[in-house]
Amino acid sequence: MLRRAGSAGTRLIEIIQLLGFGKGGWGATLLVAALVTLLVTLTALAIGAVLGAIVAAAKLSPARPAVMLGNLYTTVFRGVPELLVIYLVYFGGSGGVTALGHLFGYEGFIGMPTFVAGALAVGVISGAYQAEVYRGAFLAVSTGEIEAARAIGMGRWLRFRRIIMPQVLRYAVPGIGNVWQLSLKDSALVSVTGLIELMRASEIAAGSTRNYFVFYVAGGALYLALTLMSNQVFNRAETRVNRSFKPSVGRG
Amino acid sequence: MNSIKVAMIASTALCSMALSSVCTQASAKDWKTVVIGTEGAYAPWNMTKADGSLDGFEVELVHDLCGRMKVECKLVTQDWDTAIPALVQGKYDVLMDAVSITPERQKQIAFSEPYAQTPATFAAVKDSPMAKLPGTGETIKMTDPDEKNDMVEKLKEAVKGKSIGIQTATVYTKFVEDNFKDVADIREYKTAAEHDLDLASGRIDLAFDDATYFLSAFKDKGNENLTLTGPEIAGTIWGPGEGFGFRKSDTDLTQMFNKAIEAAKADGTIEKLSKKWFGINVVPQ
Repeated sequence: MLRRAGSAGTRLIEIIQLLGFGKGGWGATLLVAALVTLLVTLTALAIGAVLGAIVAAAKLSPARPAVMLGNLYTTVFRGVPELLVIYLVYFGGSGGVTALGHLFGYEGFIGMPTFVAGALAVGVISGAYQAEVYRGAFLAVSTGEIEAARAIGMGRWLRFRRIIMPQVLRYAVPGIGNVWQLSLKDSALVSVTGLIELMRASEIAAGSTRNYFVFYVAGGALYLALTLMSNQVFNRAETRVNRSFKPSVGRG
Repeated sequence: MNSIKVAMIASTALCSMALSSVCTQASAKDWKTVVIGTEGAYAPWNMTKADGSLDGFEVELVHDLCGRMKVECKLVTQDWDTAIPALVQGKYDVLMDAVSITPERQKQIAFSEPYAQTPATFAAVKDSPMAKLPGTGETIKMTDPDEKNDMVEKLKEAVKGKSIGIQTATVYTKFVEDNFKDVADIREYKTAAEHDLDLASGRIDLAFDDATYFLSAFKDKGNENLTLTGPEIAGTIWGPGEGFGFRKSDTDLTQMFNKAIEAAKADGTIEKLSKKWFGINVVPQ
């Protein structure tokens, strides 16, 4: 028994060293990788916000072709596996850039930076989900308010800025929180391109030290830490946007 | 300003926009810089150290080979899932990731001569009667699972009535079934770790698998009481071995590597690195 306890103790010290910041410790690598994951997801969210707003506007517009294009976008990018989109952007993108290089007489391969390819791919997917969130939020704005704004003579832009936009954002925050978590986990798939984000760093550490369990659990814990922290941010954002609507909207 | 100059400036700008290290000026005729793609997470073949640098059998080998070829080698890492497409598309010129040479892969990429061919062998519990099978410490060379071999005959005698664990659907399955089915009880397992577990706890008497796999698995917790036993069975019986991957169009580069591998084989460099990283000799027989 004593010997067992002893070997469990040395194993624990070994794990602490593996995850630590000293020599032979992977702590710093994993934290930097978690930061890369965060940056990929933030960039993707920003790209997705732009795409999502455009697609939502298209889907809400009275023009039929715009509605069809918007529907096509959300159907395709919510229906196709995320991994496929990542392959498409990474390999398709590199192929495109290289072809462009050849056009200018450059021989050889021009790679699409893995960060850009990854953020773009996750952003394109995120945009499809965000479009639905914005569309739902817009439809939640009472038509009575828009009509009232029109009645007192507010112009299109003023109406958008003072009546629609603040309410759309308010209704959209919980949905965006959801999309953020989806994108955070989608970003793990970017590891296939070779970008050293949290998933790939966990894989490298696991395969290089043959301590698979230790590093996958550590990677999982860091993903959880990221989601817990972002939950806090989104909860605060929700409270803030709802602060003047407490009796009528949300949990109050 | 003439148009070529404009194009060159434009492409340089494009190149510097591509922030990553993959932007190389590889030309088909004159190989001065060779970009090598590896996984960096497949110890002991190739691995990443905690400080981010690469190490391992293949990493040391390729540095030696590049010295022989007098080219500058740049190593980049890539996930295994996209390793072959990234080579074909040109992210790097050579794929180095313990890639077994198989006919399916040869349809997509070209291979160098093999630089490693891992032998297979038995494992048993250290103090059991099975720990000293005939041929322990020797290497025999075979080309076919059904080939008649004196050592295999001796082994058949020694394992009579015992149980042997193997992994399902590997190159070793056929060899063990063809040779030992009549004399021993063959148990198939889904993963190698499962036959190790049963072997260490005494539920089976022997296991048969890749020798380099066993040697690294013996370092894992719970496997401390296991040892290799019987001869190391090497040769093309398990396939051609592991080689570097190239784009099919780069025949000149493939030839350069073949020559360097031949030289490193001849002067004992590969054997030395193999013993250092695997504990056994994996030089193709």
